[in-house]
Amino acid sequence: MKGNLYTLSYAAILGTVCALLLTAASSFTAPYRAANAEAEEILNILTALKVSFQADASPEQLVEIFNTNVRRRSRGGQTLYEYCPPDAEGKTQAAAVRFSGPGLWGPINGFLALEPDMRTIRGVTFYEQEETPGLGGEIASVWFRRQFEGKRIADETGKIGIIIKPGGKASTINEVDAITGATMTCDKVEVILNEVINKIVEERNKDG
Amino acid sequence: MADRQQPGCLSCGVKGLCGGRGLLTLKDGAWTNNPLAVQVLGICSALAVTNRLESSLVMGAALIFVCVGSNLFVSLLRKRTPHRIRMITEVAIIATFVILFDQFLKAFYWDMSKQLGPYVGLIITNCIIMGRAEAFALQNPPILSIVDGVANGLGYAVALAIIGFFRELLGAGEVLGYAVLGSGWYTPNQLMILAPGAFFVFGVVIAIFNALKGPDT
Repeated sequence: MKGNLYTLSYAAILGTVCALLLTAASSFTAPYRAANAEAEEILNILTALKVSFQADASPEQLVEIFNTNVRRRSRGGQTLYEYCPPDAEGKTQAAAVRFSGPGLWGPINGFLALEPDMRTIRGVTFYEQEETPGLGGEIASVWFRRQFEGKRIADETGKIGIIIKPGGKASTINEVDAITGATMTCDKVEVILNEVINKIVEERNKDG
Repeated sequence: MADRQQPGCLSCGVKGLCGGRGLLTLKDGAWTNNPLAVQVLGICSALAVTNRLESSLVMGAALIFVCVGSNLFVSLLRKRTPHRIRMITEVAIIATFVILFDQFLKAFYWDMSKQLGPYVGLIITNCIIMGRAEAFALQNPPILSIVDGVANGLGYAVALAIIGFFRELLGAGEVLGYAVLGSGWYTPNQLMILAPGAFFVFGVVIAIFNALKGPDT
């Protein structure tokens, strides 16, 4: 009995000490981690909007570029990140929206940027994804994301939606090539993108 | 327990073993029983993070830090730890150090933290660390355990750095991100960046290491 009590109190004390240490470390690093996460998000918005910035820009520089070039506007429950550079006299050059949804292994989050016509895709980024590295994880690679640039969010007949087509057969204005071996991820990405595209179109139609 | 016969490091006049034992521990961990090249432990991370020299170095540093920290505390607590829960104790100590390092990376070395992804957290399950805690730190005094942690950490880190150096050099023509092999005449071999490249380089490293070390005596 005495041995059990000792074991229990030993475990309790060890657990408490470890937990306290980790809590202290976590609260100490929290502001730095939050700043990094914010910079990461800004980096993704800027990339999707194709705002030019230096590749080695520090987080502070990124925030500054973001604040001078990008305007936040909320519209129908969505936050639009509009690119209006100071020399464009208030004209919006592009707009980005966040999208998120379930991937194969975890959430997929990213930004979709459209040209001012709100019909042509300017860029896509995925800033959080846990897809299989080398297969589904390829959605974050440049070649996959580049495919979206210049594509339309509807086909010639006006049917809304982007199609991620397997077999390397993407041909029309709203199709991109899927990743071989990552059908599940591609299907999910397609669903997530179309969800946000539908919302955008809904808002656009409301404006008439 | 070994340290009953051979009391603490400073008082080992009986057999004059202290200096000798420290060096022996160092040599054993880093060379004779190199965790990667001889015991072939912890290779999951070794294969996953070595496509760049920089990430290999950071991973090596992480392992040294965790191995030294966990060995020290497991050794300090070795006489108080109830035998039945010694392994969970070891894991708790190891996990604490790993998370500390991970938090540090996330706060001050964000890009590297992104590159290493889950592999820093996975050090918790690294056989090297657990093995040293269980096989060495539980039976030996703190200072000697630190030496053992440094030795094994170094053994892992140096092997990782060698693999990372060659993979980055052959796979990207760069060392630490600086172009070394000119773009004119050398075409980077993508295979070296991918997982199979790690197996090739790792195999060659093991072969050369064991050829240099000679057969076990």
